[in-house]
Amino acid sequence: MRNWLVGVMSLLLFGCSDGGQQINSYQRGVYLLLDTSGTYTEELVKAKQIINYLLAYLEPGDTFVVARIDSASFSEKDIVAKVILDARPSTANKQKREFSQTVNDFVANVKSSAYTDISGGVLQAIEYLNEARVGRKHIFIFSDLKEDLPANFKRDFDFTLDGFTVRALNVTKLRSDNVDPKEYLERVADWQARVVQGGGTWGVINDLDRADALAL
Amino acid sequence: MSTIYSAFPTPPWATTLILLGIAIVLLYMARSSAHGAINSLFRALYNGLRMGSRSVALAEQRLSVRNRDVLLALGRDHAERELNREFFRINKFVERDLGGYPQVQRTIQEQITQINEDYKASAEVPPPSPEWVHAVESVAKLHVEKGNNSLTAQILEDIYKASEDQHRDTLQEYRQAMAERHTRLRQMAPYWRKLSNSIDQVGKHLQELVTRAQNVDRQMEQFQEIDRGTDKAARRLKASNSIQFCVALLFVLFGVGGAFFNFHLIALPMSEMVGAAARVGGVKVSDVAALVIIFLEITMGMFLLECLQWTRLFPIIGAMDDKVRIRIAIACGTILLVLAGVEAGLAFMRDQIAADHAALRASLAGTAIPAGEAVNTWIPQVTGMFLGFTVPLALTLIAIPLEYLINTGRNVFGMLLEYLLRLLSIGLRLLSAVSRNAGRLAIHLYDILIVLPLWLEGIWLASRRAARAANDGAELSRLDSVDSTTNFYSGTKVSKNA
Repeated sequence: MRNWLVGVMSLLLFGCSDGGQQINSYQRGVYLLLDTSGTYTEELVKAKQIINYLLAYLEPGDTFVVARIDSASFSEKDIVAKVILDARPSTANKQKREFSQTVNDFVANVKSSAYTDISGGVLQAIEYLNEARVGRKHIFIFSDLKEDLPANFKRDFDFTLDGFTVRALNVTKLRSDNVDPKEYLERVADWQARVVQGGGTWGVINDLDRADALAL
Repeated sequence: MSTIYSAFPTPPWATTLILLGIAIVLLYMARSSAHGAINSLFRALYNGLRMGSRSVALAEQRLSVRNRDVLLALGRDHAERELNREFFRINKFVERDLGGYPQVQRTIQEQITQINEDYKASAEVPPPSPEWVHAVESVAKLHVEKGNNSLTAQILEDIYKASEDQHRDTLQEYRQAMAERHTRLRQMAPYWRKLSNSIDQVGKHLQELVTRAQNVDRQMEQFQEIDRGTDKAARRLKASNSIQFCVALLFVLFGVGGAFFNFHLIALPMSEMVGAAARVGGVKVSDVAALVIIFLEITMGMFLLECLQWTRLFPIIGAMDDKVRIRIAIACGTILLVLAGVEAGLAFMRDQIAADHAALRASLAGTAIPAGEAVNTWIPQVTGMFLGFTVPLALTLIAIPLEYLINTGRNVFGMLLEYLLRLLSIGLRLLSAVSRNAGRLAIHLYDILIVLPLWLEGIWLASRRAARAANDGAELSRLDSVDSTTNFYSGTKVSKNA
């Protein structure tokens, strides 16, 4: 009887709490990686629209991070903007406006990076979202998926992506892809293999006008 | 299967035939036992199903009796309430309308007195007899007795003049009196009308009283029928109950729709108050809070109606002292009004939040809402606030159909259960009949499997019977020949043996 009472009390206390260190299975975490290498920076205007769309879609309690992919992306310094939306809708709206403004400023002043460390960015996203203890974890990679690492950088590790959904957005075809389309297909297939082997769900979205493309 | 065939040196078809033959022989040998087993099995099944059917039928009968009791009790209670209400109305009517009857009577009496007086005053007064008639008679006699002379003629002439004058005066007086009488009669007309109206009014009241009395008689008759528990009363109550249940269900569904609308009106602004991130059992805390407010309003409304004795869901409230009940009613009404006011505020806030969302989406999409083309904001605001205030008050009335639904639902579900039990009983009975025939069928099928040995057995038995009959015939003929000399009834004996 006593154990039963303790159990009920615990359930009530934890059930009514804000979560604390508990994983809130209804909260979503979105980590968007923006490729800033080479000529891909020209594509960032599209990324801005995606960010605004996601901002409109996210609800109080959700986490949203936008980070850049540069020569060494496994770093908190590459985070452009991050927000945990407040429980009050009015405050959340204010946060969304500020977030949007920050991203606009970034896109307006972005400088191209010499290398493209996508793996480091994904690892950073995994670390961040695991720490955020959100229920549903989404990583969007706004890139052509062409990784170009500086010398001595090691990125031959496996990802741990259990419970993650990874989607590559706007995977543009490079000049070399037109010469040999197999390169493009192999590039996408490699990333798919890495994500699926890590336990995640993989998807590629090139048609950003589709209504359900960015559904969380 | 192939391993079985491989165990025999013969070809598979021959093996199959051998095995089949062995199986048929075994089945034939076990025939009586198998028949007994099949009989026992299906008889047990049949008995069990019959017993189950009977038990269910008994349960259905008990439920039917209970349903009838509940229905009659409910009907009795309802009829009592109707009667009480009717008596209350009659009491009110008597107090209001017939309570003023002495006043009406006094008025009528006064009017009659007035009319009587007027009538007396208008009575025709006979004109006074002319005084000069006797003088004329005397003068006339004088004229007859003493002959005509000038003096007499003069006197007569004077008398004539005097009589003419007096006649004129008298006629004038008479006419004046007649005019006065007509005036009196004309004055009587309004009194007559008043009197007529007063009497009509009294007549109408009495007619209404008679109608109400007839209504009470009819209800009393129904009540007595219910009290006696007649079939007619039960049938009428059953039909009435089903209709009331359907109507109450419909209204409760309307109420649920209203509550759903109300929920959407306040769920969004509640997220501003209690936050939209936290969840309890998968449901947002703000949604739970909105539901709590709605349930609280419905509860307050139910208590209010209960205290006003419109509903009788909680007997303890009905049994309370009137003063306490009124105080609780006032408290519930106040809380309800406060909650309705809160909802009106929330509806206003909802509009603000919705506008903020729209502005945010527009800014994120890179467009702005043109100021001139936007819909007037005050219309949805005022409408929302009005609905926020009125819907909770309207939701309180859900207690009335809810009470009907609960009261009638008990009986309706009881009836449904009764029908289900009846169907189950019939189904079990059918199954029992099927099981009995299935047993017979199984025995026949068993015999079909061993038809060859049975056929052979039949032939063998027939030959044995024929042989025995032949032996018996020979024996009888021998006995006949022996007895024919001694026994007169030998022919009878032979026929008996045959």
